[in-house]
Amino acid sequence: MHEHPNDYIKPELMACCGAREIRDGDVVIVGTGFPTISASIAKHTHAPRTMLMQESGVYDARPRRPALSVGDPCLNPGAAMIGGLTDVMGMFLQGGWVNVGFLAGSQVDKYGNINTTVIGDYDRPKSRLPGSGGANPIGALAQRVIIIALHNTRRLAEKVDFITTPGYIDGPGTRERWGLPKNTGPSLIITNKALLRFDPDSKEACLASYHPGSSIDEVVASTPWDLKVADDVHETEPPRAEELKALRERIDTIGLIKVYEQKGYV
Amino acid sequence: MSKVTTMKQAIEAHVHDGDFVYIGGYICRPPFAAIHEIIRQRRKDLTITRSNATDDFDLLIGAGVVKRFIASFLSLGFYGLGRCYRRSIEKGIPHKIEVEEYSNLSLPMMLMAGAMGMPFVPVKDMVGTDMMKVKSFMGDGKYKVIDSPFDGTPTLLVPALNPDVGIIHVQQADENGNAQMWGIGGDCKHGANASKKVIVSCERIVSREVIGKDPSRTIVPGFKVAAVVEEPFGAHPGYTPGFYDVDFPFGSLYQQASNTVEGFEAFLEEWVFGLEDRAAYTQHYVERFGYAAFKGLQAGFDYGYPVSYSY
Repeated sequence: MHEHPNDYIKPELMACCGAREIRDGDVVIVGTGFPTISASIAKHTHAPRTMLMQESGVYDARPRRPALSVGDPCLNPGAAMIGGLTDVMGMFLQGGWVNVGFLAGSQVDKYGNINTTVIGDYDRPKSRLPGSGGANPIGALAQRVIIIALHNTRRLAEKVDFITTPGYIDGPGTRERWGLPKNTGPSLIITNKALLRFDPDSKEACLASYHPGSSIDEVVASTPWDLKVADDVHETEPPRAEELKALRERIDTIGLIKVYEQKGYV
Repeated sequence: MSKVTTMKQAIEAHVHDGDFVYIGGYICRPPFAAIHEIIRQRRKDLTITRSNATDDFDLLIGAGVVKRFIASFLSLGFYGLGRCYRRSIEKGIPHKIEVEEYSNLSLPMMLMAGAMGMPFVPVKDMVGTDMMKVKSFMGDGKYKVIDSPFDGTPTLLVPALNPDVGIIHVQQADENGNAQMWGIGGDCKHGANASKKVIVSCERIVSREVIGKDPSRTIVPGFKVAAVVEEPFGAHPGYTPGFYDVDFPFGSLYQQASNTVEGFEAFLEEWVFGLEDRAAYTQHYVERFGYAAFKGLQAGFDYGYPVSYSY
């Protein structure tokens, strides 16, 4: 049995949930913050042969602090390989070698489609967001995609304003029709309230577990589509002692993860 | 033949109104000295491109020199959305730029195709998404979907890009333009080689003999290079591995300044128009923040085995 200290913050729980999705030996493409922290927890606990890469061209970096961007200087010294975008996004991702991709979304819908382009109409947007970056190809080509999102009726949507990054697009069969590689697509949405997994038949995100302090009713009420609840729905396992130890003492010694509390992940 | 010149002369001679310009960098090695000079010379109607644009592209857009942007991404990273980019798109300040949307796979592949003389390149991203629905100044030339002539599967083709001029900042180059870079590459190698000519900005000019001690690091050969400019601290507030770190406080200063049009104009006046060149910029930096802050950015040293190519 695992020991579960109760002094954790919500972003730590979310990072641990991401870590548990990683299998030993996975090749993981990560962005900054959460994804790196999550994958690193896996590497320091149950999956020591996990290999991380950043789209900017870095493979197996050994940063001395959490990277603040995928171009961060701390990713350079100690990496096993540094190339460029066509190396990581082309040779490795499009080449079919990436097991797990981590993405965050300003807006995420029930099929796991992600919007990072515009809020509102494309031609007259309320907010112009950064655009795809690496998100579209990671969503298209990584075998398992883990999505981080804020759980409210603004950030989750029945349908996103703009599909920047493909989840299951319009539902079952759509990825296949577009010729996206077999056995790829989103596998999990991690929110600050729950874990949502995709039904193998309907491809809709369904409630798999609710975090301690939340409830099925609260999660359903905060979700803007008719959220199905899995038969085996349960409370999310809190962070394990060894996960928190790895996170706080080896990966994020400066407590960077606390910025996610300010971003609303509470 | 030496191509060594000043940034002022390099931009005057090789970047013209209406040009299509590739600008390298990925927080790592953005050619900021060149970017400031382009703004100082008040170029207009430029089309700019590179994957993962940050504060340097935001600055160019805010300064009004950009007409079109072949884009994959633009944000201030840790500091959030690009303020000038947002004002341009949402409010038309100083004017609304036209954006062609690609990704960090398709755009670098388009530059790679351009570098290799390929007319187009198949990529496996973008399909099925709204990235396909939005077309700007490239119109139907943004992409084509065909049935693969080999196995019949739907295949997305995107066009090669060949910018009029590519601008990169590297660690070292010789006077003929053989340019050597290390650390995070982004799309620098393909972007520069896709361009019809290249301006190489570098931390130091070295001899041809030094280039030959580690020729695997050369990313652009001299014959493609039109101008070489020695610009120490030339990527600040970005970083150059082995020379200086990224300047996080300056990133915050830019974010604060660019929050408003007035703040942005004041920033331009202080850091671009008010300074003659990068040497004056560096001097101003030291005067404004102190020598300790400048010194604090300098990289440490951590050497591995020296490489040997001897036989």
